[in-house]
Amino acid sequence: MKTPQDPPRNGPALNPLQRRDILKTLGLGAAGAAAAAVLPAGDEAQAMESPQEQVKARYRETEHVKRFYALNRL
Amino acid sequence: MLVKRSSAKTAGGKRSGLVAALADSLESGVSRRGFLRRSGLAAGGIAAVGALPGAMIRKAEAGPILPNVEVVTRKNVCTHCSVGCTVIAEVQNGVWVGQEPGWESPINQGTHCAKGASVRELTKGTRRVKYPLKLVDGVWQRIGWDQAIEEIGNQLMDIRKASGPDAVFWLGSAKFSNEGAYLYRKLAAFWGTNNVDHQARICHSTTVAGVANTWGYGAMTNSYNDIQNSKALVIVGGNPAEAHPVSMQHMLRGKEHNRAPFIVIDPRFTRTAAHATEYVRIRPGTDIPVAWGLLWHIFENGWEDKEYIRQRVYGMDEIRAEVKKWTPEEVERVTGAPGSQLRRVAEALAKNKPSTVIWCMGVTQHTVGTANVRALSILQLALGNIGVAGGGANIYRGHCNVQGATDFGLDVSTLPAYYGLAEGAWKHFARAWDVEYDYLKGRFATKDLMEAKGIPTTRWFDAVLAKPGEIDQPSPLRAMMCFGHGGNTVTRMPEMVKGLEKLSLLVIADPHPTTFAAIKERRNGTYILPACTQFETDGSRTCSNRSMQWGEKVVEPIFESKDDYTIIYLLARKLGFADEMFKHITVEKDRPVPEDILREMNRSCLSIGATGQSPERLKMHMKHQADFDKITMRAASGPCAGDYYGLPWPSWGHPEIRHPGSAVLYDTSKHVMDGGGVFRARFGVERNGVSLLADGSYSKGSEIEDGYPEFTMAVLKKLGWDKDLTPDEMRVIQAIGGGGAEVDNVSWQTDLSMGIIRVALKHGCVPHGNAKARAVAWNLPDPVPVHREPIYSPRPELVKAYPAIEDRRDFRLVQLARSLQFKVADSDLRQRFPMVLTSGRLVEYEGGGEETRSNPWLAELQQSMFAEINTKDAERLNIRDGAWVWVYGPEDGSKAKVKALVTDRVGGGTVFMPFHFSGFWQGDSLRGNYPPNTDPIVLGEPVNGVTTYGYDPVTFMQETKVTLCRVEPA
Amino acid sequence: MARMKFLCDAERCIECNACVTACKNEHEVPWGINRRRLVTLNDGKPGERSISMACMHCNDPPCAAVCPVDCFLQTADGVVLHSKDLCIGCGYCFYACPFGAPQYPRTTDFGSRGKMDKCTFCAGGPEPDGSVEEYQKYGANRLAEGKLPLCAEMCSTRALMGGDGAVLADIYQERSLRRGYGSGAPGWSTAYGRNDRGSPFTPGGPSTGGA
Repeated sequence: MKTPQDPPRNGPALNPLQRRDILKTLGLGAAGAAAAAVLPAGDEAQAMESPQEQVKARYRETEHVKRFYALNRL
Repeated sequence: MLVKRSSAKTAGGKRSGLVAALADSLESGVSRRGFLRRSGLAAGGIAAVGALPGAMIRKAEAGPILPNVEVVTRKNVCTHCSVGCTVIAEVQNGVWVGQEPGWESPINQGTHCAKGASVRELTKGTRRVKYPLKLVDGVWQRIGWDQAIEEIGNQLMDIRKASGPDAVFWLGSAKFSNEGAYLYRKLAAFWGTNNVDHQARICHSTTVAGVANTWGYGAMTNSYNDIQNSKALVIVGGNPAEAHPVSMQHMLRGKEHNRAPFIVIDPRFTRTAAHATEYVRIRPGTDIPVAWGLLWHIFENGWEDKEYIRQRVYGMDEIRAEVKKWTPEEVERVTGAPGSQLRRVAEALAKNKPSTVIWCMGVTQHTVGTANVRALSILQLALGNIGVAGGGANIYRGHCNVQGATDFGLDVSTLPAYYGLAEGAWKHFARAWDVEYDYLKGRFATKDLMEAKGIPTTRWFDAVLAKPGEIDQPSPLRAMMCFGHGGNTVTRMPEMVKGLEKLSLLVIADPHPTTFAAIKERRNGTYILPACTQFETDGSRTCSNRSMQWGEKVVEPIFESKDDYTIIYLLARKLGFADEMFKHITVEKDRPVPEDILREMNRSCLSIGATGQSPERLKMHMKHQADFDKITMRAASGPCAGDYYGLPWPSWGHPEIRHPGSAVLYDTSKHVMDGGGVFRARFGVERNGVSLLADGSYSKGSEIEDGYPEFTMAVLKKLGWDKDLTPDEMRVIQAIGGGGAEVDNVSWQTDLSMGIIRVALKHGCVPHGNAKARAVAWNLPDPVPVHREPIYSPRPELVKAYPAIEDRRDFRLVQLARSLQFKVADSDLRQRFPMVLTSGRLVEYEGGGEETRSNPWLAELQQSMFAEINTKDAERLNIRDGAWVWVYGPEDGSKAKVKALVTDRVGGGTVFMPFHFSGFWQGDSLRGNYPPNTDPIVLGEPVNGVTTYGYDPVTFMQETKVTLCRVEPA
Repeated sequence: MARMKFLCDAERCIECNACVTACKNEHEVPWGINRRRLVTLNDGKPGERSISMACMHCNDPPCAAVCPVDCFLQTADGVVLHSKDLCIGCGYCFYACPFGAPQYPRTTDFGSRGKMDKCTFCAGGPEPDGSVEEYQKYGANRLAEGKLPLCAEMCSTRALMGGDGAVLADIYQERSLRRGYGSGAPGWSTAYGRNDRGSPFTPGGPSTGGA
C-alpha cells in the first residue's frame, strides 16, 4: 500500500475470526459480493497522477466545510 | 399500436428553446440527456442499461459535471413531503447533473431524507410517461397533445350535455403548486361543479376540520423549527422518522438541548419510538380514550392552566364531564395503556411547559378522525399550550403542498381560502375574477348544486356505481379527470375497480401512469397526459408550517410533458371558457404565468392572509435564506429583515405593508404586525347567553384590550375607525356593498381594497376578531368528542357502549355507520378475521408510491410489499420471516399476497402493511398493463385492496387504520 | 494535518437512508452496489439503534494488508483509495474488512466478480482530480472541490458526520455532554484505534461503549 509515510500502526491487530464476528453483528454478511451491475471503468489507460499526487491531501477547510461543522454543532 | 423507436432523434419528441438546441447539439458528445432519451425507450428499465452498447453507457455515466461547461445553480423545493426542504440543483446544458446541500435553508439546513436526496432522478425520467397515450381495446396508443385535448374536450362536452357538469369528477393534487391548485379549483368552478378534491381528503381533512372548528384555522399552529423550543414532545399516531425525517432534526435537537421528554403514543413501535424516552402502545382506534385518559390525570391533579382556560377557552366544563368517565381503569380496559404510564405522560406534559403535541395520519384516518383531532386540541388548550412558542398543535401534513392545495380550495366544500360555497363566497370570487355572478351560476346545473358540497375522493367510485336515486345530483359520475393522484389511495379497492370499469372517460395527467392506468378491467376510454414535476416548472408551495417557498424551474419539462398550468389552460380553452378564466392572468404560449396567478390569489384570498406573499417577496426570501434564524425563522438583517421565512400565513394585507407573516398562530405575546394573533371569531359572538369572545386576553399592543368580533364596516363605524379608510378604499367598499345598507356587511374577508384589514392592523387588532377557542363545537356531529369503536372493531363487547354514529346522508351520498358496525359485531366475523390490520408509511416511498417506486435509487432499498406480524402470532400461525402470506380482508372476498416481516414492532394481534404499493392484484402482477416502459421498478399488492368501509362524518375521511384481517401462509 | 474520519451518532440516526441515496445520486452508483448502507440493531425492539456504515478509512486498513496486487493507497489526510486498474476482483479485501465495505459488480452470469468498488470519502481515485476518467471509475471528487462526502452533508438529522476527525470528536463530545451520556460511536475504535482515551464522552473513549 502506498502511504505518504507509513503511519504508526497503533490499531489493535484483529484476527480474521474477530473480523467475521463483527461482520455478523453488523448484519452485513456476504450480500455485498452478490452485486449485479457494472460500475463503468475506462478501458484505455488514462493519464495517472504521480505517486506523490495520488496520496496528497485533498481536504481543505473551506467556508463550505466550516458551515457543515457549524450546523453539526446546533 | 405503439411503435418502439430506436432512433434517438425522434425518441424524446420535440422540445423547443435554447436548452433543447444545446442538448441536441451535444447529442454526439457526452450529453446525459441524449442518453436518457434513448434509454427511456429501450425495453426493460434497469435491464435496458445493461443491454445498451458499452460505449453508450460510458457516455451516460460520464461526468456529472463536464469540464469547461457552465454550471447553473437553481433552487427549488423537495416534492416529497410537507417539511419543505430546499433542493439545490446544478444544471449543465439544460440537464440536472448534480444536487448540493442547501445550507442556507432555515428549514432543512442542507439535509435530506432518502426521497429528498433522490429527486434529481425525477428529471432523468427513465420510467416517466413520455407522450400522451390513449387506451384502445386494451392497447396503449401514442397520440399527440392536440388530438388528446380535442378528444377529451369533446367527450367532456358530450357528458355535460347528457348528464350535467356534476357528472365529471375533477381530482386535483397536493403535488400542484399553490398556483396550480388555485387554477384547478377555478377550472372546476368555471366548469360548474363542486366535485373537485385532492389528497387532503385522505390525509388531514379531519385535522383541518377539527382544528378550524376549535380555534379558527385548519393548519399546524407552530413550525418544525419551533419544536426546538419545546420542553416536552408527544407524538400521537405519527412516525416522522419515516414520514418527515428532516423534521426529526429539529425534534432531536429539542430533545437534546432541553432534555425534553420525547413521548410516542402509537400501536406500533416505530422508528420514531426508537428515539423516544417513553413509548405508549395503544390499541388502534382508541385515541380519544387516551387523550381523555391524559386529561383525567391533568384535571384530577389541577395541572390545567386555569387562567388561560378562563380567558381563551369556551366550554371546558362540558369536557370535564366527559373526561370524568375515563378513569385509568376504563382507559386501560379500552386502550390497553396502563393508567400509571398515562399519569407519567400527563405529568411530563404538564410540568415541562411549553409542551407540544404532534400528530399525523394515525389520528386523522379514522371514522372518528375529526373527534380525535379535537380531543388532542382540547388537551393542548387545557394545558395552555396553544399560541405559545414551543407549544402548539404541530400537525405534520403529508404532501409537499397539501397545505397549500387545501388553502387554495381543492376541496368539495369550499372555494379558495375556506370561503365556503354560500352565495356570498361565490359573489366574492365573481368580483375577484371579474366575471358576473350570474355567469358562474349559469355554469352550474342549479344554484342548489352550486352551494352544495361535492363528492369527496374517498367515495368517488360509490358515486359512479350509485343508481340515480341514491345520489343527490342529477347523474352518477361518468368521467374522472385525475391530476397527480394515485389510484391505490382509497380504501375498498375491489369496489373502486368496479367504479373504474364503469367510467366512460378517465383522464390521468401525471408524470407516471399511476395505479388507475394498470387496472386491467378498463380497455377503452382512458387517456394519459404526461404532466411534468414541480422541478420542471415554477411556482410557490406551502409547507406544513404555512411558509410559502418559491420553486424555480430546474429544467424544461422532459420529453413531451407539460406543466399543470399549461394543461389546465389547454382544457379551459377547449371547453370554451379560457377568456373568462384567464381574464387577468397573462398566458404566454399556452402557459399561464404563475406569478400572475399568485397575484390574483393575493388579491382574493384575504381570509387566511394569503395576501402579503407576493411573488416578489417569496423570491426574495429564497434568495436571502441565509438571513433567517434557524429556530425563530425570522430575518434579523438583509432585505427581508423582520420577516418570518416564507411569510407563513396569515401575512395580512397588501404586500406593501410588509406584514412579516405569523410563525406561531394565536400568539398574544406579539403585536399583530409582528406576527401576533388571537383565536378567530368565526362562530358568532355569543351562545346560550355566554360570550364567545376572549375575556381580557388580546394580542400585544391591541387598542381593544378585550375580545372583539370580526371586523366589518359596521364594526369600524361603531369604533369610529371608518374615518381611517382612504377614499379609494371607501369607493371599493361602497361598490361591493352595492351602495346601500349592505355596505355595513362588507367585512375584512370581502373588502377587496383590504382597507378594513389595514385599519384593524393600524389599531393593533387582528382582522378576524378575538374569540375564545371552542372546546365544544356545537355544529359538529359530536360537539364534545366521544369514543366510538371502529366499524370493524376487534372488541365487539365494547361496541354497544361505544357505538358508531347513526347512519346518515352527506356529501350527496349515504353514509353507513352504526348499522354496519352492529352487523359486524353481531356476526362471526371476529372469529374468521381475528387480527387488526393497520397501515402506514415507509421512508423510501411516498403516497401511492408510483413515482418513488419508479426511482431506482429508492426502489432498490425496498423491493417487496410486506406485512409486519408479531413474533408470537407468526409462531402460532407457522409463518416464517420473509415467507409469502395471504392477508384476507372481510369485504368482497378481498385478499393480498405479501411477504411476512416477523417483528415485535407490532403488538400481538396486529398486522401492519405499508400503503405505497400497487401493481399486483390478489396475487397477480399487473406489470403488463402499464404503458410500455412506464411500469414502476417495484410493484406490490396495495394495502387498500383489503381495507374496508368506514368514514368520518365531518369530512368523509376513510378509515385506514383499523380493520380486521386474517393471515395465512401462502 | 487533518485526518478524515466518519462518525455516525446513533442517538441521531433514524435509518432514513438519505446517506445511501445521496451516495447513489452523487456517484451514479448502479443498482446492486451499495457503497454505504444502514445497519439496524434490535430492529423493532426497545433499544433499536441504527448506524450508517461504509468504508471507515481505517488507520491501518486490513483491506490493504491482504490485497495481493497492492492496489490500495492512503492519502495524506487518511482517505483509503484503490486503483481499479490494478484490482483483480479477488475478494480478499471483503473478507478482511471489519465493516463489509468492499463491493463487487457481478460481471458474468456465472457470478464472477468485477473490480472492487467502495466508498472513496468522495475523494475520487488515482486519476487527476475532477477528471472524467476519475468520475467514471470512482465517482465525484468532492474533497478536491473543498467539500465533504455528500452522505454526511445531506444526513437528515446530522447523525452521520464526515471530515476532520479532531473536529468530529469535539462535536460528538459536545453532544454527549449536552445529553448527559454517550452511547458510543460504532466502529470508531475499530477503524482508528483507542488513542483518544481521557474523556468519557470522546468517541471510542472508556465509558461510551467504545466500538
